[in-house]
Amino acid sequence: MASAGPGLESLVDQIISVITNDGRNIVVSPLFDLLIPSSSFLFLLSPILTRIALPPLRQGTLRGFDQATNIILDESHERVYSTREGVQQLVLGLYIIRGDNISVVGEVDEELDARLDLSKLRAHPLKPVIH
Amino acid sequence: MRPSSALAPQDRPGASHGKIRRFALCVLVELKNGETYNGHLVNCDTWMNIHLREDGDKFWRMPECYIRGNTIKYLRVPDEVIDKVQEETSKSRSDRRPPGVGRGRGRGDIGAKPGGRGGIGRGQDDGGSKGGGGRGRGGIGGKGGIKVWEPL
Repeated sequence: MASAGPGLESLVDQIISVITNDGRNIVVSPLFDLLIPSSSFLFLLSPILTRIALPPLRQGTLRGFDQATNIILDESHERVYSTREGVQQLVLGLYIIRGDNISVVGEVDEELDARLDLSKLRAHPLKPVIH
Repeated sequence: MRPSSALAPQDRPGASHGKIRRFALCVLVELKNGETYNGHLVNCDTWMNIHLREDGDKFWRMPECYIRGNTIKYLRVPDEVIDKVQEETSKSRSDRRPPGVGRGRGRGDIGAKPGGRGGIGRGQDDGGSKGGGGRGRGGIGGKGGIKVWEPL
């Protein structure tokens, strides 16, 4: 890998979270997270579910990037925050984000993320970046 | 509201053929101004300029369009593509010529004198081919490199 570039090598094939200039939060993380957004009861079963659904369960990761911080996310979803209701998750799938629009790329702490109850989480949506 | 799916099942590249065919890759492009374009990806280049051809029934139809790369916010691509791409990259990596045999393409040192022989190469592992500008980035692939697919 060339020395120039955003230095995201260590995040390749990791679970990451991206914040874009328009204030969206795009995350790649395990799929059951999405399928069962509200029920903590089913979430307790998720270790079992993962074992059953092992082959089709494809973990989302950072699949690639380049010197312009264009990034490829696999199995991604967007987290939409609101103060009225819990976090909504929209499935995006394979996603290529142009570097121009990326504000932050961060690694997700998988355990911490799994402990979040997104249905109870209230937050203001992020404002877009102003240049 | 975002369209729920970027592609119809029959348009999926894997549906009828094992390979991504040219004209068969259906993508959604969102521009920085929020406009979205659906279409079959005809071609693209290293600036992310994108040539789309019509995808039927969506809103305003136009037979084709060319999108300048720097107006793009993001692309949505069928999920299967990522698997195809890896085949492509590994294939193209294996038939790549060994380093040093090529023409020593690549950037010379920034401070190289005009008319000089080019600077020290940026090649990392093999020290560059002798006298040349070092080897370039080796094209596609490499861990961490962006994965590129080429129209077949």
